[in-house]
Amino acid sequence: MTTNRRGFLKGGAALGAGAMLTASGLTEYAKAWAQSSQWKPEAGATINLLRWKRFVQGEEDQFIKIVAAFEKATGVKINVTNESFDDIQPKASVSANTGVGPDIVWPLHVTPHLFPDKLVDMTDVADYLGKKYGGWVPVAEAYGKSKGKWICIPVAVNGGYINYRISSMNAAGFSKFPDTTAGLLELCKAMKAKGTAVGFALGHASGDANAWLHWLLWSHGAFLVDKDDKVIINSPETVKAMEYCKALSDTFIPGCASWNDSSNNKAYLSGELHLTANGISIYAAAKASGDAKQLAIAEDTDHAFFPLGPSGKPAELQLAFPLMVFKYTKFPNAAKAFTAFMMEAEQFNPWLEGAAGYLTHCLNAYDANPVWTADKKRLPFKDAAKRTLPISGLGSIGEKAATAVADFIVVDMFANYCTGREDLKGAIAQAERQAKRIYR
Amino acid sequence: MDDFTLFSIGSGTMTATATLSKDRIEPRYSAWERLKSNRDWLGFWFMMPAAAILLLFLAYPLTKGVWMSLTDVKIGRPGVFVGLENYEELIFFDKTFLYSTGFTIIYTAIASAAKFVLGLYLALLLNNNLPFKSLIRSIVLIPFIVPTVLSAIAFWWIFDSQFSIISWALRKWGVIDHNINFLGDPILAQATVIFCNIWRGIPFIAITLLAGLQTVSPSLYEAATLDGATKWQIFRHITYPLLTPIIAVVMTFSVLFTFTDFQLIWAMTRGGPVNATHLMATYSYQKGILGGQLGEGAAIATAMVPFLLAAIMVSWFGLQQRKWQQGSKE
Amino acid sequence: MSADMTKTATDDNSDGMSYLETTRTKLVTIWLPLALICFVLLFPFYWMALTAIKPDHQLLDFETYNPLWTWEPTFKHIQKLLFESNYPRWLWNTMYVAFAATFLSLICSVLAAYAIVRLRFRGAEVAGGLIFLAYLVPPSILFIPLSTVIVAYGLFDSPLALILTYPTILIPFCTWLLMGYFKTIPFELEECALIDGATRWQILTRIILPLAVPGLISASIFALTLCWNEFIYALTFISSVPNKTVPVAVVNEFVDGDIFRWGSLMAGALVGSLPLVILYSFFVEYYVSAMTGAVKE
Repeated sequence: MTTNRRGFLKGGAALGAGAMLTASGLTEYAKAWAQSSQWKPEAGATINLLRWKRFVQGEEDQFIKIVAAFEKATGVKINVTNESFDDIQPKASVSANTGVGPDIVWPLHVTPHLFPDKLVDMTDVADYLGKKYGGWVPVAEAYGKSKGKWICIPVAVNGGYINYRISSMNAAGFSKFPDTTAGLLELCKAMKAKGTAVGFALGHASGDANAWLHWLLWSHGAFLVDKDDKVIINSPETVKAMEYCKALSDTFIPGCASWNDSSNNKAYLSGELHLTANGISIYAAAKASGDAKQLAIAEDTDHAFFPLGPSGKPAELQLAFPLMVFKYTKFPNAAKAFTAFMMEAEQFNPWLEGAAGYLTHCLNAYDANPVWTADKKRLPFKDAAKRTLPISGLGSIGEKAATAVADFIVVDMFANYCTGREDLKGAIAQAERQAKRIYR
Repeated sequence: MDDFTLFSIGSGTMTATATLSKDRIEPRYSAWERLKSNRDWLGFWFMMPAAAILLLFLAYPLTKGVWMSLTDVKIGRPGVFVGLENYEELIFFDKTFLYSTGFTIIYTAIASAAKFVLGLYLALLLNNNLPFKSLIRSIVLIPFIVPTVLSAIAFWWIFDSQFSIISWALRKWGVIDHNINFLGDPILAQATVIFCNIWRGIPFIAITLLAGLQTVSPSLYEAATLDGATKWQIFRHITYPLLTPIIAVVMTFSVLFTFTDFQLIWAMTRGGPVNATHLMATYSYQKGILGGQLGEGAAIATAMVPFLLAAIMVSWFGLQQRKWQQGSKE
Repeated sequence: MSADMTKTATDDNSDGMSYLETTRTKLVTIWLPLALICFVLLFPFYWMALTAIKPDHQLLDFETYNPLWTWEPTFKHIQKLLFESNYPRWLWNTMYVAFAATFLSLICSVLAAYAIVRLRFRGAEVAGGLIFLAYLVPPSILFIPLSTVIVAYGLFDSPLALILTYPTILIPFCTWLLMGYFKTIPFELEECALIDGATRWQILTRIILPLAVPGLISASIFALTLCWNEFIYALTFISSVPNKTVPVAVVNEFVDGDIFRWGSLMAGALVGSLPLVILYSFFVEYYVSAMTGAVKE
């Protein structure tokens, strides 16, 4: 048994990162894996899995393949339900409360920390994976652990960065993308003057708006709360961030305040928008479209890190996707086995490739995945998990941080000021008041 | 309330009968007879199904909502009693709540007034003897029968900030030189959602008022015309007074449903931009379900009740004029 | 057309004013505003239908292609909708929930309306008033506490949650409408039957209901529309994708992360509306006359 497993592990490694297995090959492999795995699924296990709805078709296709291979190899039945990502947290909360619902939930951000006691301890899975694949990035540990135990497995992070049209940037007099906030403002002004529109979401876009506005806040050295969860939003740094945001938003295309996560994709793909903050989905969709006009846009598009602000440190917010298992499940071993199985190189590599850069691994070994080298335009996204802070910023990860984000406190603070609905002081005071109520 | 007293008496009698029936069969039989023929009893049984559903799924949650608004209950975790804290927080510190309340009132006032005027106008137009009468009526009703969310999605697309067909058309005609920021500018967004609400509401008001108009006897108009009355006089002194009761009812409902609107806003703006189009209902969903603060969400919902009571008072005065639906036939 | 109009204008004697008007003034005072209103009322549906059949590359390109028309209609979106998504399932859910809730509400309402109007039991007026009041408590006040109630009853994420909660919206309206109908049925019929020894149940099923069929039809049409249109309960109480109803599913399911599939979205909205439009096109006259009956009293 032991030798068998070792041999098999070597074989797995020999296959190399990103080797695409054929369907039958995958099944064979899965059978061997199941034989040797330390988690033996319960007989007749059926697992209901609730996950976020895919962003990229290729990712879902790969995921379905993984599920099918696991089902064939182990006899476990897995029912997958997709849900738009705003809806997962309330649903998971209800399940945690009532003890009825999906066995595995794959939500966003800090959802597992809303009810750590209701989750199966995943420490064995996390340790196994961490040991085998070069260790977890720091943010993964932050998201994964509660009181020294792993309560969820941070499968991946969705990176959001600057998307821009190379030709428009060049026309505005920049040969490479600026790496400071001041430079970004200059670029946006120049691009606007040239009639090539820029714009970042200021509406309740849970992905885009949260990502870039938290970056803006943090890059100026301002935070909602400090490490003891004391509210410190009312600070000179925040004022600077707000003033910068106002200046930047003056260069935006009209409509940003109503934008949801899809609005900038649509505007960019139609050629109306030349610079925005988004995941890789714009580029991926353009490349996958097969339409000549869209391909030209993709050709002219590149991505850049969010520039460094006055604080001088990269401080970004990226969406994390932790996977958790509820204690009420009758099949914890099957759930663990599936989790470990999908994170093995043979599954995880093709899955990352299927996501085409939309998802970034949290295990260091996957830096070698060809998805990051096959197309250099994807390169910034490779480091998303290493550059991001947890959603709580400096503060503790938990329910309060989740509520603050769900209430769009930071987004509304910036939007209120930039649209002129509140003055500078009023907007900050309102955010402070809201935050204090949550963090009392 | 009579239902409840009847019910308690009823169960009392039932247990009494059950104990008696051991040695004697007679009283049970007569009690059954009584149940079958007695008017009050029969009324009670007939009301049962409706009352059960309304009590379980309306009265009970309504009470529970008021209770929840006094606690700090969250999704996934029971709460403790906190008194009026949620309300204090909302009224004194939560600007978004005040904005949303203010906008809800403005939304209701403007939309209801416009729906009334345009609906009445349309009803008067449709009351003419027109060819293709029923076809035109079907067309007019379409916005009402198509689910609100589905038409709201179409509007969302029509009023898109970059790809609005209206902006495109106006640009083509040279009226404007850049896209109108329909849903991105707070004031314009408010105007846009109000427009959509009016659009959605006109057909119901028009068709209901049309039904009212058709009950007005033509001979009244003929007499007035023979007396030399102008069209305006006819409308003012014959049509309008006769329509008043139905106007009162229709407008009560219109105000009520506009005030508690949810889906139009949710599908089009989700309360944005910068919370400018949040109605109380959408804000309560945002806070209660998405933010997980059930207590605060319930408080926002409960805060709508005083406004609804005001609407009920209006309807009550409307009803007074006509002994409307009182179960008796005078 | 114009001959037709002149004819109606002169022949008309059901309306007191129109015979004084000439075709020309009628054109300006009636047809023009009517056409304008109809245009505004219908344009969103045209736009919906057009978007549903436009190929993707024309959707966001207003410069090369005239946005108001397409010469290359595609049924790709509709086909995708019907054969590659859960859409048929959602449509079925919507119908199932709507019909079940309507049926349940009608039973409750017939009994309640009959009792209030004809049995005149002690407290009938109060019961009538309370039911009317129930109409004034809209879902947006109730959904938060009701969601906890639904969870407590173990109905969460089940169609039964909707079937049992929709009647709270429908019963008050249906009862109100049927009360108006029952009142128009002469008392004498019932008295004769009572003397002949019929029970109340027999009277209700054999005499009253057959006479109230038009009222029942219009009540059910209205109830179906309300169910079809309901959003907030379906949004809050239903969690899994296969259990959703059309309005909720269309809003949430045609979004791939941050890419909206406008074609499918519009096709979904269009197809979701069609059953009701068809229903109404058969019953619109019924509906108007039923409303007339209800308000006439």
